[in-house]
Amino acid sequence: MDETTVQVYSVLFVMATVLLVFTARFFQKRPGRRRAQRQLDGLERITGWTTQSIESNRPLHLSFGGAAIGGDKTPAALAEAELFHQVIKRANAGDIAPILSMSAPVMIPLGQDTLRRAWHKGDGASRVIWYPPNLAYAGAVTASMADDKPAAHIMAGGFGIELALMLDGADRQGHPSLAVSDRLDGQAVAYALADHVLIGEELFVASGAVSEEGRGRNDAAVLDVWRGLIILGATVFLLLEFSSQLPLLTWQLAAAGAAVLIALGAVMYRRR
Amino acid sequence: MGRAGISAFVAFAVGLLTLLSLLLGDNPALFGGQPGSEVLAERLALPGDVLLRLVVIVVALSIVIGIANLLYVHVGRVARGKFYSAVLLASFAFTIYWYVTNRGDSSLLEAAQVPIESALASLLFFSLVYGGARVMRKRADIWGLLFVAVVIIVLLGSLPLAELAPVKAWSDWLMAVPVSAGARAILLGIALGTVVAGVRAMLGQDRSYRG
Repeated sequence: MDETTVQVYSVLFVMATVLLVFTARFFQKRPGRRRAQRQLDGLERITGWTTQSIESNRPLHLSFGGAAIGGDKTPAALAEAELFHQVIKRANAGDIAPILSMSAPVMIPLGQDTLRRAWHKGDGASRVIWYPPNLAYAGAVTASMADDKPAAHIMAGGFGIELALMLDGADRQGHPSLAVSDRLDGQAVAYALADHVLIGEELFVASGAVSEEGRGRNDAAVLDVWRGLIILGATVFLLLEFSSQLPLLTWQLAAAGAAVLIALGAVMYRRR
Repeated sequence: MGRAGISAFVAFAVGLLTLLSLLLGDNPALFGGQPGSEVLAERLALPGDVLLRLVVIVVALSIVIGIANLLYVHVGRVARGKFYSAVLLASFAFTIYWYVTNRGDSSLLEAAQVPIESALASLLFFSLVYGGARVMRKRADIWGLLFVAVVIIVLLGSLPLAELAPVKAWSDWLMAVPVSAGARAILLGIALGTVVAGVRAMLGQDRSYRG
């Protein structure tokens, strides 16, 4: 595929996503068509952790890791900030502000902005902490756990294998943890060591699961549409590939099979 | 139009300009190779280039914000009697003093920073092994069992022993087919999420632009 074709497809893909975002907003505004979001185990614990934080007067630790605005990870960093905004809002009844840590200095303004919007009691600047990246960040966060005694750690951002040090430290201190990374090595470590884990795109719909606000749920609906289309496309291409190799399976039969699968999927979705 | 509306409009305009500039710029073939299409493509690429360079400058300057934040936070903590923060500030001051008095000397970096990071990297190995052993305690289900089984097969398969050749074949297949498929699925999900969140930011719907 030449560069021009890729660029044209990219423009079409972005335009289709814009259309889907507005369509999802339209349906979300109509109460009868409002869509319930699938519950995620780790996110359901956040309510308990915020309650514990308020009652025990211990802060929550919210970690961006190496996430940064200004590069290709900007949307992920904004999604993490939105999740943290919802978590901080829930903890707002307490007296001690959550701690936000990050290893990218460009995230300091975003972190302070997130805290300022959701936490209305001042003391914002000293609760947003930057540490140098990678192992130094993991070492600093692990060391500060003993001082700050967080009620729980929510680590949603860009992490590599250094996440193991922080999660191990949290486990030794008896602090519960939720982790998700936009990097594969960090995701594997999160799965093995965190008490609760989100995987892949769940990071982008997490704010919708934590709060009743519709915007996160709109994103979830758009993601579901794209994911469904990708699965459908992959299935059709696979069947067509088979149809060229097996004499009994023609492309018409493959298309009919795909249509039946779509109809079954639609029926199951409606029943659910 | 309120402050939030202006923010959203600026975000939308800049986002759209950058997107179009990056997607359409520097490719004259998009304009049918007509006379003047190269100049048009270059002009379209210009705003994207300028804005991205601005981002690089802002990111480079933000390290100063990071250091200021680090000092501000830890000075406050020292006032509350936190020992580690005092150590951090003392190390910071000593490093500055060392750099000023021994210009160009990187022995402090080699004598302190590198060994400490190496020690942390070694600790990381133990954390990972311990974490792997703890998986069955945290996830006592079929997926936890599958995770541990795959880790064991891949570790055994990486041993240079002739007796383990069948395990190596299994390990290679696992890495090439299911692990690769799973990794691609996760990356695809992240990519889709990135596009949706990016579009939302570009449309000025993100909370940062809503005042």
